[in-house]
Amino acid sequence: MKHLCFHYHMQIDFDIPVKDHHFTLKCLPKDSRRQHIEKLHYEVFPNRFISRSGDSFGNECIYGVYEDPHKEFLIDVKGEALCGLKEYETEGNRTDANFFKYQTAHTVPGANIEKYHDELIRRFEGSQDRVREKAEFYMKCLHEDYEYKSGSTRIATTAEEAFSQGCGVCQDFAHIFLSLLRMEKIPCRYVTGMLLGEGLSHAWIEYFSDGLWIALDPTNEKVISDEHIKIASGRDYSDCRINQGVFMGCDREAKQDQQICVSVEECV
Amino acid sequence: MDTRELCRYSGSINELLARYGVRFGIYKNNTFKEQLFPFDTIPRVIGAEEFAFLEKGLKQRVTALNLFIKDIYHEKQIIQDGIVPEEFVYAGSGYLPQCEKVMPPKEIYSHISGIDLVQAKDKSWYILEDNLRVPSGASYPMIARDLCRKCSPQTFRNNHIEDNRNYAKLLRRTFDNVNTGGHTVILTPGRFNAAYFEHSFLAEQTGAHLASGHELMVENDHLYFIDYSGKKERIGAVYRRISDDYLDPMNFKEESLIGIPHIYDVYRKGNVALLNAPGNGVADDKGIYYFVPKMIKYYLGEDAILKNAPTYLPYYPEDMEYVLKNFDDLVIKDVAEAGGYGVVFANKMTAAEKDEFITLLKAEPRRFIAQEVIDFIDIEIMEQGEYVPRKADLRAFVLMADEPLVWKSGLTRFSRNPDSFIVNSSQGGGFKDTWVLSQ
Repeated sequence: MKHLCFHYHMQIDFDIPVKDHHFTLKCLPKDSRRQHIEKLHYEVFPNRFISRSGDSFGNECIYGVYEDPHKEFLIDVKGEALCGLKEYETEGNRTDANFFKYQTAHTVPGANIEKYHDELIRRFEGSQDRVREKAEFYMKCLHEDYEYKSGSTRIATTAEEAFSQGCGVCQDFAHIFLSLLRMEKIPCRYVTGMLLGEGLSHAWIEYFSDGLWIALDPTNEKVISDEHIKIASGRDYSDCRINQGVFMGCDREAKQDQQICVSVEECV
Repeated sequence: MDTRELCRYSGSINELLARYGVRFGIYKNNTFKEQLFPFDTIPRVIGAEEFAFLEKGLKQRVTALNLFIKDIYHEKQIIQDGIVPEEFVYAGSGYLPQCEKVMPPKEIYSHISGIDLVQAKDKSWYILEDNLRVPSGASYPMIARDLCRKCSPQTFRNNHIEDNRNYAKLLRRTFDNVNTGGHTVILTPGRFNAAYFEHSFLAEQTGAHLASGHELMVENDHLYFIDYSGKKERIGAVYRRISDDYLDPMNFKEESLIGIPHIYDVYRKGNVALLNAPGNGVADDKGIYYFVPKMIKYYLGEDAILKNAPTYLPYYPEDMEYVLKNFDDLVIKDVAEAGGYGVVFANKMTAAEKDEFITLLKAEPRRFIAQEVIDFIDIEIMEQGEYVPRKADLRAFVLMADEPLVWKSGLTRFSRNPDSFIVNSSQGGGFKDTWVLSQ
């Protein structure tokens, strides 16, 4: 178990003023079997009103609006997390989890992932019904066969596109891994969060087996223990976007520049 | 009973309907065209006893459908018990994950249901489809009846016909039952919608505000209507006539410009009622239709009073075998399509089309249902001064208020084409009033 202090800061700069800005933010980690959150403090600027809401994946949301023209928007979240309290999450039953067996627009495989999946089936020597063994083997292979390269993909890049170009970031590792597991009909979900020692937000996955949601980090080839703070989960990236907004540009479509700064350290 | 006696008013009634703006807008090749919705004055007549039977069956069906939607978005018992296969729910386009674990006020999902029926030549009724999203059409027989009464009051004095002008009252009762405090609005996408006449007519008749998305806003966890002077008025119920996808850009389709940002967050908190509830598409999918008699048995412990048309799911191997063997006698429907699109009669295909279709059917069996062609009765219409028989269906309206209510009328739609079974208004059909006899 680790006691972590975290600080998440996102700043968005618009090149021209925007107005009627509605936002939903999934930026608040919450208590679960694995983690306990305390001293949570958040700020959203500017806002005319904000409130708390939830979504259907069990995530915490902040929602609100700011109507007046503005050129910047920032989110700041601070707190402490006790991580690794338990090994697994256990919420939901098999029928609920089965919903996560289905591919989404981000994870649906194309020819290249399908070919890779065939290859993995051949390489896997364990027993077919050992879900855990298979998931960890697939993670190991993906970690070896796929290259991490920062800035090489965009947020809308699909698993197939990311896989085809041979390199990507944590979001792509997670999407490709989800795609492979779903081809095996294993329920699995996308997770966003923060990782000890990382300066950016991070993404990994959880798969469901025998009543447990087991978390794996394919980017780092790690079974998750006590260094990951979970923020949100869903079918793919689009269900757990930290910042989702709609707004009107004042004269034309606004361009936005987003800076994210994360720090996670062991509390002293 | 002389059902032809209104025919001599046909011209003037249709003229009045046109003047009132009773039109049907359709999109064809990306252009919007408004066309008149032709009214045939010869009513469809349903006897009191026969309608009582339909009423009982419709209440049963809509009660079970409501229980099904609630179950799917919460406990999922019907999936766990193996009655409905999970992929018919999760892989169907009508299932919305956003609706998981969100309970609408009073646990009602389908407040206004449009159930389409046909009557076979042996006089037995069959359910053709359930419309639980935003079914339209009630306003047409309402206004047509009103005009018929004005032209020929004696017809309605001499015959014992249930008055159908109470629909607005039933609707009002349905709104008020779930209203969480405040006024009620009818939310319209605007005048380029196929059913805009209906939106404005029902607002006028029920006393609800007619509003478009930009007149509504969310603040402090509640929904408000902003009036002409900028004053905010709390809204407790929204009879929304826009589809789930466009309701809220923050929770559904982000590119929606006609929706209200965060309305779904407020609904999630129980601070406003949405009629019908989002997510109902999970129960009126053509694939789910097959399972409705099973859900009636499952939830209510009763046999279905109203029959489905005999339906096969190629998803099940034994049904696939039957469909391939009897292909020429069946009508095949694409489960994702509506409005009479995606319906093919196998006996009207060329050999090449058939081959192509069967290949598709085998590749995507979940996408199609096959049904026996019901030879439904012809109903008399007047076409250019002559009485001719045409195919017609009946859309019955079932409202779920403090109890299920069946409107004693309905929209009878007919095909103007003598060879066609497709009666949808969007395919150019016309409509009739539906008389339910009171004795």
